Amino acid sequence: MTNLSIAAETAPTGSRLAARKFYPSPAPWLMPLILVLGVFYLYPLIDVFRFAFTNISLVGNDEEYTLRTIANTLSKPELLQILWVTLIFTGSSVVAQQVLGLFIAQVVVRSEKRGLFGSTIVRTTALVAWVVPGIAGGIIWKMLFNEAPFGGLNSLLRMLGASPVQWLSDPNMVMWSVVISNVWRGTAFSMVVMYAAIKAIDPELYEAAEMDGANPWQRLIFITLPQLRAAILVNMILITIQTLNTFDAIISLTGGGPGRATEVLSLYTFNVVFRNYDLAAGAVLSILMLVISLSLALVYARFLPKGEPV
Amino acid sequence: MINSRQERIGDLFSYLFMLITFLFFAWPLVWLLSLAMRTRKEVFLGVSRLIPKSPTLDNFIAILSSDKFAGYLWNALILSASSAIGCLIVALPAAYAFSRFPFRGKGPWMMVLLAFQMISPLVIMVPLYRYMAKIGLTDSHFGATMVYIALAVPMVTWILKGFIDGIPRSLDEAALIDGCSHFGVFWRIILPLAKPGIASAFIISVIAGWSQFLVPFLLISKEALMPIGVGIFQYAGTQNDSSIQLLAAACLVSVVPAIVAFLSLQRLILGAMTAGAVKG
Repeated sequence: MTNLSIAAETAPTGSRLAARKFYPSPAPWLMPLILVLGVFYLYPLIDVFRFAFTNISLVGNDEEYTLRTIANTLSKPELLQILWVTLIFTGSSVVAQQVLGLFIAQVVVRSEKRGLFGSTIVRTTALVAWVVPGIAGGIIWKMLFNEAPFGGLNSLLRMLGASPVQWLSDPNMVMWSVVISNVWRGTAFSMVVMYAAIKAIDPELYEAAEMDGANPWQRLIFITLPQLRAAILVNMILITIQTLNTFDAIISLTGGGPGRATEVLSLYTFNVVFRNYDLAAGAVLSILMLVISLSLALVYARFLPKGEPV
Repeated sequence: MINSRQERIGDLFSYLFMLITFLFFAWPLVWLLSLAMRTRKEVFLGVSRLIPKSPTLDNFIAILSSDKFAGYLWNALILSASSAIGCLIVALPAAYAFSRFPFRGKGPWMMVLLAFQMISPLVIMVPLYRYMAKIGLTDSHFGATMVYIALAVPMVTWILKGFIDGIPRSLDEAALIDGCSHFGVFWRIILPLAKPGIASAFIISVIAGWSQFLVPFLLISKEALMPIGVGIFQYAGTQNDSSIQLLAAACLVSVVPAIVAFLSLQRLILGAMTAGAVKG
């Protein structure tokens, strides 16, 4: 996207008056967007906040305003467990996706430079996994984790002589199974972002390091990682928010079970609203999700390069 | 000498890493394909029949010829295509304005748009479900399409703005000086030149629509109107171990259209998405 900044810089600036004359109000151009987002995002969002102060349920219409919902919802004993599960799921998915994505990008870039065979195949396979819809991803992994003979992982383990694993029924194992399936589906995004960022590093830095006798490991630690700092931060925050909102891949893989072992915040919110019909408590939980996502978004905005011509 | 040996060891590790990565990403889909082409007896033979002895297409035929699945696929196609078109209608003029018009608070507005993208669809579905039920937009493709559009439009606007930014301003300024209206510039210069961007934005929103689960799951309860995402979830719930090969075939049928759509424009789509992610 370098050509865009060049275009913006070399474009004749002209006087303010001329700009006004050529560019009337943008309002009519933005109107459809504002309408759609207003009706389907902003209005419901305002209502979520209103609902949080009521005892409204999904069925029936006689709600009244109260603060008790907020207190009750936030003091539920299971909420702590849910938040812990969410933290483990999100944290390990994000770290695994970031590390794996960086490694794949690094190896793909290296292979392209050395003319090795197969980097395109690896990249495309990861991307294909990324396009698989969440629900289908969950169903596919359920078949792989299945403990019956047709389970794609245990039958592989058995063939190699290893003992089978209780992927989905062992409460201590199931979280890692869910994380594995999420890493499978999500890593390609980090890979693509890291690939673009590595390609943007000035090759002269590596040449200079090589002159000074730096080994590949030192080049990674002292050049690649510091140069990728901004891209890694931005990517981490983007995938954190994506992972936090993940819900379809879990509902079709474990449904949150066994017990509550994999019930993340978004799935819990869904269950509260659409299984228990408790709209008010769901609104409180929605706001909790919103607060977490938006604080991450603010952190994200802080790391953006300043003074970019938008 | 030492250097080239080091490089060769590096190559070896690269190949090893690529092989493991490839197996990790490919295995689930290979397994899915293997299961989908087995007969009921062979399903229980596990990995020893990775390549089935008597591969069969019967499972696919059974799935595709059932009215239910044909309907699911058709509904998903209608929903994702019409929402992608709607998305372009809403996002294109806005992207043009964001790219070209000077107005106050443009940067912050773009950030607000990005912030919308961070809100989980679940948050807005909580109240939306009630409204839609009240005004009778549940169990209708129109209602679901409108929500799909709202969910995808912030990202699509960002992507299109990036593409329009890449079209030299001198072109539209020359046209404006010659007396062309803004609509004329938009219609005759921007749209034709942004074709690759429009195509990738369209495919991205088709894929996003195809993957939708929550919105149709909540808004559509009539089986005849359900898209594939919901259909396959319901179907998986009713299946047991003896029909796993059918579920595998159904799953594959639901996944392949998204993969094909993506691979058709892979380079363009990746360019569009990373431009958005790296630039912010």
